[in-house]
Amino acid sequence: MEVDREDGRSQNQLRPLACSRNILHRAHGSASWSQGDTKVLAAVYGPKAGTKKNENPEKACIEVIWKPKTGQIGKLEKEYEMILKRTLQSICILTVNPNTTTSVIIQVVNDDGALLPSAINAACMALVDAGIPMRHLAVSICCCVPRSGLVILDPTKLEEQNMKAFAYLVFPNSVHSVLPEGSLSVQGEPIENGVITSVTHGVMSVDDYFFCLERGRAASTKLSDFLRRNLQHQSTDSSKAG
Amino acid sequence: MENKQSSSPASFIGSTVIPGDVVLDLSSMANQTIKLGDGLREDRDAISAMKAGTLRCKKPNKYRIESCQKRYVPCAGDTVLGIVVDSKRDDFLIDIKGPALAFLPVLAFEGGTRRNIPKFEVGTLLYLRVVKAKFGMNPELSCTDAHGKAAEFGLLKDGYMFETSTGLSRKLLSSPTCPVLESLGKKLPFEIAVGLNGRVWVNAASPHTIIAAANAIMNSES
Repeated sequence: MEVDREDGRSQNQLRPLACSRNILHRAHGSASWSQGDTKVLAAVYGPKAGTKKNENPEKACIEVIWKPKTGQIGKLEKEYEMILKRTLQSICILTVNPNTTTSVIIQVVNDDGALLPSAINAACMALVDAGIPMRHLAVSICCCVPRSGLVILDPTKLEEQNMKAFAYLVFPNSVHSVLPEGSLSVQGEPIENGVITSVTHGVMSVDDYFFCLERGRAASTKLSDFLRRNLQHQSTDSSKAG
Repeated sequence: MENKQSSSPASFIGSTVIPGDVVLDLSSMANQTIKLGDGLREDRDAISAMKAGTLRCKKPNKYRIESCQKRYVPCAGDTVLGIVVDSKRDDFLIDIKGPALAFLPVLAFEGGTRRNIPKFEVGTLLYLRVVKAKFGMNPELSCTDAHGKAAEFGLLKDGYMFETSTGLSRKLLSSPTCPVLESLGKKLPFEIAVGLNGRVWVNAASPHTIIAAANAIMNSES
């Protein structure tokens, strides 16, 4: 059953992805991520000595600041900050640099749907650029359930507004390993099948949600490959690696 | 046995890895002692990468991930350029672009006694050696080499200090001499101190020369 999307994409097709790292001169790590017209800039500073008052000094602390394109910072931005902080805390290895603070600043350059997933992807690439130790990378996708029809991926803002419900999903990336396949599993399932974060809006049935998860997971392998190619390409390109 | 060949390459040594990639299989190296350098961690039965970079292996058993960052990970035996942030009774607090401030004991100078403690103001630039850099502790520095001699460590007067990435500092210090430094040296007389923490200090007779040398080095990182 064909779904009619405005820009002519199929239901599982993502918008063109673009990512560049090390674009800000002063930040210790930076990345710009764009999916179609949605563009987000992430900057990482740190790790710097000292943690905030209520944070555990035996672990590194991650602090997120979200800057919207226009307007003042309100509840929505604080919510995004909290979601991003929890996601990043689960992918970074916090015990390597105890009693330090790493600040992640997200600047929204343009919002055309799937903003939070783009921000998570940008933040992850900026952390890699800064050399913060991480367990694995996070790839993030937005899946939505329209009022009638099949689940679609990576909506634009117009499509998002007409949806019955949507879910932002974050998965770990697929890893290359020298071990034989199947040995890197947690409780019998490969690591890529785990879900790091899931944020849902609207009303959807349980079946729809599982279907979203499945579609999202399939798309996350494509995103993982994109990330891997991007990191390999940039590191062999510049003279820094030599 | 057969499916091992189809799934993964024999080894990642010399190729780029990203965080999460499992790079070494410990079960096939049962009786060897392996030393893990920067960027690798032990994860149950395997070694996986924490950073994105190139996996390097120094025979016989040292593995590390070589990557280029703006921040520095302190490592024992490195030479760095530090800036004095504060001075206490027993040591100076030095900023070396790492996650924690480093300590320079007040007596860690050649012929240093309680009577001739050097007076460094806040903001002084020093060329130092990292003595200890253990997990969880602030790194310890020294102004002497391993035998206790001064060996050019200490205060850097005049000149100009600029920041680079750790990758460029490693390249400047590599042997044979980096082509940038060699060709600069043929044209301009200057002296240079390179810290593995991404700081470079250049000094020459005239400001002209200093600026030319500094710009050349900064732009050599394409």
